[in-house]
Amino acid sequence: MQREDMVLCELLYQLADDNFILAYRGSEWLGLAPHIEEDVAFSSINQDMMGHAVMYYQLLEELGAGDVDALSHCREPESFRNAILLERKNGLGHYLENPNYDWAYTVVRHYLFSVLKQIRLESLYHSSYEPLKQAAEKISLEHYYHSMHWETWFTQLMSSTKEARHRMENAINYCWQEFDGVISLGRYGKEICDHQLIVEEEKLRNEWLKRVCTTFGEMQFSPKTSPGMESGNGRNGEHTEDLTEALEVLSEVYGGDKQAVSW
Amino acid sequence: MVLTPFDQLTADEKYDHFMERIEKGEKIEAEDWMPDEYRKALIRLISMHGISEIMGALPEKEWVPKAPTLHRKLAIMAKVQDEMGHGQLLLRVVEDLIQPLGKTRDHIMEDLFTKRLKFHNVFHMPAPSWGDAAIIAWLVDGAAILSQTMMLNTSYGPYGRALKRICQEESFHAKHGESLTLALASGTEKQKAMLQEALHRWWESLLTFFGPKSKQETGHTNVDIGIKYKLRTKTNEQLRQEFLTKYVPKIQLLGLSIPDEQLRFDEDTQEWRYTEPDWQKFKRIVAGDGPKSDERLALRRNSYENSQWVRDALRHFKEQASEHVG
Amino acid sequence: MASEQFYEAFEVFSRKRDGLPLEHRFSLTAPNKEMAYIMAKENFFRREAVKELWVVSRKDIRKMSQEEREAFQLMDNKAYRETRGYVDLPKKWKEFNHDTKVKEG
Repeated sequence: MQREDMVLCELLYQLADDNFILAYRGSEWLGLAPHIEEDVAFSSINQDMMGHAVMYYQLLEELGAGDVDALSHCREPESFRNAILLERKNGLGHYLENPNYDWAYTVVRHYLFSVLKQIRLESLYHSSYEPLKQAAEKISLEHYYHSMHWETWFTQLMSSTKEARHRMENAINYCWQEFDGVISLGRYGKEICDHQLIVEEEKLRNEWLKRVCTTFGEMQFSPKTSPGMESGNGRNGEHTEDLTEALEVLSEVYGGDKQAVSW
Repeated sequence: MVLTPFDQLTADEKYDHFMERIEKGEKIEAEDWMPDEYRKALIRLISMHGISEIMGALPEKEWVPKAPTLHRKLAIMAKVQDEMGHGQLLLRVVEDLIQPLGKTRDHIMEDLFTKRLKFHNVFHMPAPSWGDAAIIAWLVDGAAILSQTMMLNTSYGPYGRALKRICQEESFHAKHGESLTLALASGTEKQKAMLQEALHRWWESLLTFFGPKSKQETGHTNVDIGIKYKLRTKTNEQLRQEFLTKYVPKIQLLGLSIPDEQLRFDEDTQEWRYTEPDWQKFKRIVAGDGPKSDERLALRRNSYENSQWVRDALRHFKEQASEHVG
Repeated sequence: MASEQFYEAFEVFSRKRDGLPLEHRFSLTAPNKEMAYIMAKENFFRREAVKELWVVSRKDIRKMSQEEREAFQLMDNKAYRETRGYVDLPKKWKEFNHDTKVKEG
């Protein structure tokens, strides 16, 4: 593989894996969301995001990286390029037993991610790789609703009860310690930008901070530090046990019968 | 045509007027006068239907992330989402019926947790493999389509409108289930075995899906009230016969075995003969004593209690907002 | 514990395509209209196009009662406000035509 293609693939893995793994975390909420109407709305977002992951995996398939199902089900954790924050569990417990999931954490993580995703999409409209540009344009059609959905949840929970505010601030603080890992373009970041595939990390970070802090301001909240990357950089293949467990669940059936050609 | 103002009619006159409307095929709306027996039957029927949709998301939930390919993951997510969506439609219908009794969705949930409100027998059963996901989607949904289609013309307007939406979506579920089944049936030995084992596990539940034949089996049945008020048009046994006619030949065509040696079509009576299922067991399961009843109720209760703060917070936000707007 | 007051009911209306009227779809419960709006979008339009979407709090709707529904019926004496009340016009025109021809003749 040409160096240029390798760099392109790095970015595509980041985009695909972010959407794939966060869609998975979202799908664990199925049937458990705080309100039945919200359960339905949230599930659409998870499907859309997994659909976006499929589009990015297809670009990888076209570049000869393997077929979309193998890419999403058969890679080792260290070859995943998603940010660590997005792979973390929804809270304590398991999706089938005592899921003591934290809705505030889910709202904050999705809201912060949706803002960054929007900025990345806007940048991808100008990507030098035409198929990626086209994918970004399509994805943004669905992302509009996602942004609106999470912003509504974020602002309403931030300005309601004391308890909600407390839970939301805790969640923001937690996400803040890791969010630089979502902004990161990884060890090939400079080359990715040199090929004009997407704008520099620095620009992504500044724009994200600007937008997020505007909303925070309206909620009378301001973060005390810059976003961090405490658990490591997923873009470089560093991950937690949460990802390993997630991949075991995701590939249990697919990997359970190696002879199967069709499911 | 009522000449005296409606509220001045006697109870009997109101009832006769109501039955006249039902006989004429008119649809009853939420705020209309209705006999208590009718309201009770509706609440019972639709809350059980609605909560079954919601509890029905749980056996399949395990298979959402585990679905083997990206396409299957998306499809089963959409399918289970629809079940939740059907629950939403149906609970809305119930909420309007229980409102005059001073009750809300919270009460429906409490009734579920205390097992006063029952959910469908099939959703108390385990679904330990991907084969179960296929059988549920193909045959449990297939059975559900038959009973829901039968009620499309129900005399209660809001229920009919909800069912119309539901049946439209169920046609996708049927295809999804068929697709999963056909893939496994034409797959490796391991895949075929997965499907066959699941069918064996589910057969008795499928046979009991429509409920007992008549009063003899379990002591009571609600079918008669349903037919009297035109909530439904077919009996449990008619639906079961339809189900067998539709699916047994297909199951046989796939080369799958059905765990009932008595099962055959009787040409003389033009009816399917089958081994009578254990209706006492059925009754226990529906009462909340099935293999997975407590586990699934615990999951539902856990999620409900964990997110109580969210519902409270949003109520609070509403109050603030209306002050600003007001 | 059940709260004394649950969320409000909102009625959901939509226009599928340009040129079509707004139609009622269904209802949902939500704590306020912003939430009602974002939930309506995916609860009722996962598969169908939506050109316009309204959510209306039910408490702002004046509905019909059963008595009104049965009382509000049209009597069959309103031909004067329908085209079918004017079926004699072609005949009138014909006569007019005939009269002119007679004069010319």
